[in-house]
Amino acid sequence: MIVTPKIFARLAAIVLLAVLLQLSFFSRVEFLHTSADILPLVVVSLGLLGGSMTGAVAGFSLGFFVDCLLIAPLGGSSLVLLGVGYLAGLFRERFEVQSALLPPLLCMGLTLLAEIGFAVVALTLGVDAPVSALVVRDMLLKSIFAFFLAWPVYFGIRRLLRPALVEESRVARRRQPTVLGT
Amino acid sequence: MYRKQVRRRRAVLTLLVIGSFLLLTITYGQSSGGLQRGVSTIFSPLQNVADRALKPARDLAGWFDKTFEARGENSRLEDELIVARRKAVAGQEALQENAELRKLVELNRGPALAESAYDPVTARVIGRSPTVWHSTVTIDIGRGDGVRVDDPVISGDGLVGLIASAQGGSAQVTLITDHTSAVSAKVVPVGVQGVLRPELGDPEDLVLDFIDSSKDLHRGQAVVTAGWRAQGLASLFPPGLPIGEVTSAPIVEQEASQQVHLRPYADIADLDLVQVLTGGSRS
Repeated sequence: MIVTPKIFARLAAIVLLAVLLQLSFFSRVEFLHTSADILPLVVVSLGLLGGSMTGAVAGFSLGFFVDCLLIAPLGGSSLVLLGVGYLAGLFRERFEVQSALLPPLLCMGLTLLAEIGFAVVALTLGVDAPVSALVVRDMLLKSIFAFFLAWPVYFGIRRLLRPALVEESRVARRRQPTVLGT
Repeated sequence: MYRKQVRRRRAVLTLLVIGSFLLLTITYGQSSGGLQRGVSTIFSPLQNVADRALKPARDLAGWFDKTFEARGENSRLEDELIVARRKAVAGQEALQENAELRKLVELNRGPALAESAYDPVTARVIGRSPTVWHSTVTIDIGRGDGVRVDDPVISGDGLVGLIASAQGGSAQVTLITDHTSAVSAKVVPVGVQGVLRPELGDPEDLVLDFIDSSKDLHRGQAVVTAGWRAQGLASLFPPGLPIGEVTSAPIVEQEASQQVHLRPYADIADLDLVQVLTGGSRS
């Protein structure tokens, strides 16, 4: 990704918008007793589009920002999201993303990994209450929601960052030569 | 050139990971730092605007979700209504008897906390944490409105939580479904006391722990805040705030684990307006 000041501003705006949307909308709307979590989704999208560094830095920043707004212990969300963003970027650097189905599938898988990461961090820091098995249901549903939300989020972010994306070689369309009189 | 890029990438990643661990180590177990409060103060107006702008979309999404749940809940509510009507009649009789007894005994309420000792301030929820590991909400009032740390927070239905952090124009509420929450509560009218803890992952299931197993509790009994006071110490919550009702009280569980399960009255998953009980004596 070519990061100019304008593109950096767009990235910052994407991070800010993602956090506001998550806290004010997605966290407060439940379906099947579970709310969607678009933060890992946004980080994975940025990683897939911008590479491992973009994904890692975006994940760290987004996690830090969320923890500041929620007055939660700093560092936990940053660690998980930077890991997920880095992995997404690493995938993009090693393999070609040709199928349109691949980004949503990756978003689903890495969101599940992120939710497991949040659980590991929380349990490591200490949880003073019994943990219900419904936490597993919550994680699985969040990853399924991420699959469906990836379509507007990933392709929306791609459109926003198009000026900065390094174009991959396209298969040139072969056109039939126009012959006059035929 | 490529190797240089790889080394730089690894260096940045290592720095970020170390930074995350450092932040975790520094802030673990501490209350909110100045940086967090500053960020929260700066962005709370934006959260406020986003909350109001997105309310119609939230209501629409919530309508779909509630419609699916409505059918199953309808029959349960009809049964509850029948039980509630019977209790209301019995309650009226008890009130009358209570008034007469008070006249006879000339009961002195003394310094016992009552809800009237607090100054309730209404607030709107403008944000909510995305994971079950931290059950908190952000409200649109703060220190400027008289909100202080450890002020109780209630909704129209019952207890919701406690103020964890307050800035100029916003505050964070730790809900009763957060793993750090522990509320001293009692079952009425039997008076059995215990400590209310959440069951992480299920916001409709709370556990009343450390109860006296010699008294039998049963389904449908109401649970309220105990509001105890002893030798200069006091509960953070005033007595008598409704919390929920007992949903599961098998004798085996009461005797073996000294606990019962209850469902909170407040709809923790769908909070919009809450009240903060500001003021009040906590000494």
